[in-house]
Amino acid sequence: MSPITYSLFAYGLTAVISYVVIAIIVAINAFMSRSHKGSGRKEA
Amino acid sequence: MELLTTLFPGIGSMLAQEPAIAAARLVLIVIGFILAYMGFTRKLEPLIMVPMGLGMICVNAGVLFLSDGSIGTLLLDPLVSDPTELMNILQVNCFQPIYNFMFSNGLIACLVFMGIGAQSEISFLLAKPWTSITIALFAELGTFVTLAVGILGFGLEPGQAAAVATIGGADGPMVLFTSLIQAPELFVPISIIAYLYLSLTYGGYPYLIRLMVPKKYRGIDVEVYPPEVPQKTKFIFCVVVCGVLCLLLPMAAPLILSFFIGVAVKEAEILPFQELLEKGILYFSTFFLGLTLGILCEASTLLNTAVIKILILGILALAISGVGGLLGGWVMYLVKKKQFNPVIGIAGVSCVPTTAKLAQHAAADENPFAVILPVAMGANICGVITSAIAAGVFVTTISMIG
Repeated sequence: MSPITYSLFAYGLTAVISYVVIAIIVAINAFMSRSHKGSGRKEA
Repeated sequence: MELLTTLFPGIGSMLAQEPAIAAARLVLIVIGFILAYMGFTRKLEPLIMVPMGLGMICVNAGVLFLSDGSIGTLLLDPLVSDPTELMNILQVNCFQPIYNFMFSNGLIACLVFMGIGAQSEISFLLAKPWTSITIALFAELGTFVTLAVGILGFGLEPGQAAAVATIGGADGPMVLFTSLIQAPELFVPISIIAYLYLSLTYGGYPYLIRLMVPKKYRGIDVEVYPPEVPQKTKFIFCVVVCGVLCLLLPMAAPLILSFFIGVAVKEAEILPFQELLEKGILYFSTFFLGLTLGILCEASTLLNTAVIKILILGILALAISGVGGLLGGWVMYLVKKKQFNPVIGIAGVSCVPTTAKLAQHAAADENPFAVILPVAMGANICGVITSAIAAGVFVTTISMIG
């Protein structure tokens, strides 16, 4: 692979992994918020 | 003359060495003084520059004739690799244990990262996660452009170019770690130049902001409502993300673990550990990092043609990263229909919290009521994550360059 092609590939891979990490963070936050609201309703 | 050499070996060794090395020693003594003084006046980061400046002065002044007839110091010798010789020298050179047991194996970088993790607030990231990560990715532009320029323009080996390119991530521990794995022969000059340039971001980036963001846009206020994230949530996703990143990038596992263990300790509210990491370990490791870097600035180590290439590539990487980050800020300004301050883009360069504070100062200078720090901190934290991922990608895939 040429250096320019590799740079583009590595940049793309970094972007994909970064967005996956953020998606995990957002998903966990959404799941935990829903669980928290759900347990609040049960208590009521 | 012989009496002078015997009584004052620091001066006598200069007369015995090649003129180029003697001159370089004098220049480095002066530079060490300048760095220490600029740290004192807060023009450069004092935590690093004061110990580094003093270390630089002493390693170039305190040179003597050793028992085997060679010229050296009693501070440290980074080139010793023979195990028997190393065991002997560990008992002689006072900073040799710090170098061999903490610096050259990356431990000191991991300790600094633990302290940074313990100070990081993940909630800022959750205020605008997709915006923050996009800005952080734009701010990594310098890393990937410099890699290609380093190989094609400067003739560096792929591993060497990758190690230098990580300077664009503006993350000191990441640079140390990557250069240890990818280019151990250039580890010393890359680390020294990286930390020197990171201190210079204080001075250079404000001008870049003024160049790329006209006055009327700098004072835009950004309304943000950071979500109230329960600590349980923050703790769970830091543990999960740590595991996922280690699975994806095992070569970067030591740094990933170090950062997230700091965050986990903070979110779990283990107060004694939090204080230990935030204060004791962070300041201890930062102090010895600066001091060891200074002591490594021996004239003969730095008189290497590769140093010039690293000097140029390092500044290129940080400049392009700053430009990339601000471009990301402009992209977000357009995407958010002008309800975004483009200055926030500079915070994507992960010099935590320097670049976030720079962004806030630039905004406050034009509009005292503009509060962009929360969003800037989100971009800053994402910058740490993306530079860790970029370093891991390099370490894992650099062999693909043919």
